[in-house]
Amino acid sequence: MLIVNGPIEDSEHQDPGHPERPERLIAALAGISDLDLGDDMTVLAPYAATRAELARVHDTSYLDELGAFCYAGGGNVDEDTYATYDSWSIARYAAGAGLAVIDELERRGEGVGFVATRPPGHHALRDRGMGFCLLNNIAVAAGALTARGERVLIVDWDVHHGNGTQSIFWNEPDVLYVSTHQWPLFPGSGGSREIGGYRALGRTMNLPVPPGTTGDVLARALDDVVAPAVEEFDPTWVLVSAGFDAHRADPLADLALSSGDFASLARRVAGFAPRPGRLALFLEGGYDLAAVRASTAASLAALLDARYEPEGATSGGPGAEAVARARAERVIAIDLALESEEKETP
Amino acid sequence: MSIPATIAVGYDGSPSAQAALAWTFRLARASDATVIVVHAVGLLARYEGEREGEGVSLELEQSVGQLAEDVDFDTTHLRWMVANGDACSVMLRTIDDPVRADLLVVGSRGQGAHAGLLLGSTSLQLAERAQVPLVIVPMERHLDEW
Repeated sequence: MLIVNGPIEDSEHQDPGHPERPERLIAALAGISDLDLGDDMTVLAPYAATRAELARVHDTSYLDELGAFCYAGGGNVDEDTYATYDSWSIARYAAGAGLAVIDELERRGEGVGFVATRPPGHHALRDRGMGFCLLNNIAVAAGALTARGERVLIVDWDVHHGNGTQSIFWNEPDVLYVSTHQWPLFPGSGGSREIGGYRALGRTMNLPVPPGTTGDVLARALDDVVAPAVEEFDPTWVLVSAGFDAHRADPLADLALSSGDFASLARRVAGFAPRPGRLALFLEGGYDLAAVRASTAASLAALLDARYEPEGATSGGPGAEAVARARAERVIAIDLALESEEKETP
Repeated sequence: MSIPATIAVGYDGSPSAQAALAWTFRLARASDATVIVVHAVGLLARYEGEREGEGVSLELEQSVGQLAEDVDFDTTHLRWMVANGDACSVMLRTIDDPVRADLLVVGSRGQGAHAGLLLGSTSLQLAERAQVPLVIVPMERHLDEW
């Protein structure tokens, strides 16, 4: 059973010529339609996150500022990110969609969630939007879950590092944030030595990979590097920042994945979930419309055992060495941090 | 207070950034400081073909050269830093190794700015976060006056 948030009218959040555009969401929804799920899909009523729900992960001063900025007509939040008069409302629905999806999954105790919204969220920091993102949708959902005592694994396979999500949960021991991303690339963070703050050492895992990396490398990274950390963390929920801009056709990056690779990654991530009804994917980036459509369909088909013929999986690219190096550097960084913590403890 | 030895100045080619750069060149000439011209490669810049480590557009490079010439700044004291990220984060990175800037300079409004509002202002974001002195150069005066 696929649990999807209800689509809202989002066409007023757009800037002519900007790659983060309404057609992205239309492409993702078309990918769902391609699966012909029929009764095996539930579409929820739209839900806008409240101020209290947003304030778990965003400063209230930023929320006030963003709302006022939009209602004053909007403009450029930074050199990449725009907001319009309607963006505040649309962003609140995008953030609320994840909350509605996880509540429905919890109620049913089965199914897979897909949060099909825009603007994306994983670059949004506690106190400012950036990188096309205004509110951090996946962080709002994870924050709601940790407030109930849940332990949340966030896997971020968007091609860009989710600096906002990492930063928000830097010192949160109940969130394990794992990111695979191209390096170097925007936003310039996501090094393997970034391992979490002192209250959450090891709860951040970054696996940066070079341009040209193929799907087999990321699949092996999930099996060999991520899986042991997940087993130790023992999550009660798994959320995925499912950007599809690591696809080889994406115009903003240089990884070489196919839609079939996203199916492979989705299957692996599903294996991290403790039981049915504890997995939700959040749409993040992805700027080639055909790739977004095919990758959405392939990922969800893999999770729902639906019939869909994705592109073949890719292999033979670089990146294995980078993953091995990241793994080693991470171990050293954790050891050094623990050593330093011991020295400071009287 | 010490005289700055390494000054990082944000540059996106906008009139505001040009004003900031001209001011920086004059200060650096007087204090014998090194100027790091910082250009952030954001998502849209990447979309338009810019890459970290591959230099900037000829147009941007020429505009910096022209400004240096205009204020008689010796470009052997000039270095570029072209880095992935949003302008605020990239400027903040210059405070740490290997650049270790001891003064940051930005124009009051960059390419992405929205006049009169808090959001959209790299300068105000930096003012809240910078751990070294920050100069925000207004552009109301003509460039020649700096």
